[in-house]
Amino acid sequence: MIKPACEDAYLIQSKDLRNSYYSLTFGSFSKAGQCRPGHFVHVQLPCSDVFLRRPMSVASVSRGKKEIEIILKVLGRGTRMMSDLKKGDRINILGPLGVPFRLPRRSQTVIMVAGGVGFPPLLYLATEMVAKGHDPVLIEFFYGGRSAGDIVEKPRIKKLGLKFHPVTEDGSLGSLGLVTQAVEEYITSRKGTVKPVMYGCGPEGMLKATDELGRKYGVGGQLSLEAPMPCGIGICLGCVVNLRQGGHARVCCDGPVFDIGEVIL
Amino acid sequence: MTPDMKVTIAGVELANPLMTASGCCGYGEELANLYPLSKLGALVTKSITLKPRLGHPVPRTAETASGMLNAIGLANVGIDDFIREKIPFLAKQKTVVIVNVAGSAIDEYVEVSARLNDQPAVDMIELNISCPNVNEGGMEFGANSRLTEQSVAAVRKVFSRPIIAKLSPNVTSIADIADAAAQGGADAFSVINSLVGTSVDVDSWRPRLTNNKGGLTGPAIKPVALAMVNAVYERSRLPIVGIGGIATWSDAVEFMLCGATAMQVGTALFIDPFTPVKIVNEMKTYLKKKKISAARDLVGKVRKY
Repeated sequence: MIKPACEDAYLIQSKDLRNSYYSLTFGSFSKAGQCRPGHFVHVQLPCSDVFLRRPMSVASVSRGKKEIEIILKVLGRGTRMMSDLKKGDRINILGPLGVPFRLPRRSQTVIMVAGGVGFPPLLYLATEMVAKGHDPVLIEFFYGGRSAGDIVEKPRIKKLGLKFHPVTEDGSLGSLGLVTQAVEEYITSRKGTVKPVMYGCGPEGMLKATDELGRKYGVGGQLSLEAPMPCGIGICLGCVVNLRQGGHARVCCDGPVFDIGEVIL
Repeated sequence: MTPDMKVTIAGVELANPLMTASGCCGYGEELANLYPLSKLGALVTKSITLKPRLGHPVPRTAETASGMLNAIGLANVGIDDFIREKIPFLAKQKTVVIVNVAGSAIDEYVEVSARLNDQPAVDMIELNISCPNVNEGGMEFGANSRLTEQSVAAVRKVFSRPIIAKLSPNVTSIADIADAAAQGGADAFSVINSLVGTSVDVDSWRPRLTNNKGGLTGPAIKPVALAMVNAVYERSRLPIVGIGGIATWSDAVEFMLCGATAMQVGTALFIDPFTPVKIVNEMKTYLKKKKISAARDLVGKVRKY
């Protein structure tokens, strides 16, 4: 288990990705090099209006430079204030936290199922896999949103050389429908020819559908869950989920990454 | 000269006056990954009940102005697993171990406490007669002088080391309840448990907690806690462990001035798990500056009008 740092970091870049999405890069974070795909950081804002920290998954790191990037969508007070941060502003970061993704074998076909603001950890995972020599054409990156505006950072994802499949509910970009419908079509069309592994992150309904697909077609893999979590280190017990084998797990420290079929979603 | 940070609660010496609060540090394992627990004056475990409890369904925490609500519902491993799986770890820690005990009937408090009496690693117990988040028992005991006295007296018969009674703020007179706990044989008080509160989502019209209400904690409750610590201090000669929104060294000093001998840090651990360690170090600086040789010299020294 990595010992997390609890220290101040400074905003060095804020990019408006449009449609309420922002990419924030923080520097001077000593544990940047230890943030793996699937890890999250717990961010404390320098104001008293937002009392608790906010968990943010890591979208990329620049190891030598001690920089980490998070990508957020403005959904409430905390994310609003984060999007308003200016270059040089200080925040306090606790992390890296949680259990990261298990990287697949290099020869494996990988299905990524990203929904809305759930895409950053999968972007990091795909980037890391490619950097470690995973053939990008084996990565099927499904990315769903309500409409074209919800699919952000397209050039960056495509640049990895992977197979990019945008899916929108209104058909304004890529195929029409839910991302999990597109994934199911892919799985059934390739049945018997490939044995893929699946990684998912996104809204609750998408995770539930992905988990069902995994169990229905015998496709293993991992899902990264989201939950409001006061502490992020396993001491408040506020973020529990029910396990299929019975009992509870804490999303913050037993997860946020769980195996398909492990959690009752 | 380094100020003397040692304090004594019911004959048990603590290296410093800062403890973790029950329900805010599990059984200590997670914090031990961050710093040696010897840096704490004491560690107070999650409430232990006779049987394991999963607690209430989520959402069971909600953010509020300068604080939070929780209705975890006494989730814990139960006394059997606690003794088997958690005590061996706690026994190795170089800090005072205080086990918080909860129950829904006096018999349950007695049975759990009797089992803990056989565990030498347990230095003291803290009786949670004030949990706002269980339907049966809990706060009911601590809101009634007669039940408070009865439950403390029953546990007194089976537990030979110090008993701290954790008092509820959700009462008319906390000093009267303190009297009853002392009558029953308590050796110290912890003041206060959380304040009953709730919060409602205006879109769904649903409470933000599945339990519909919960306990308010964090800096929002500090002024209430300070007044209650002082009320108990003026009534009783037993030592007080102050709790309620402590996040900085000055919060801790305020509690000592109002009558607390030691303090527990709860919600602040969720924001910064290093809080108690930082408070101890910063209190030393304060004491040096004020030319006070021992932290315990602050207890009850508020200069009232």
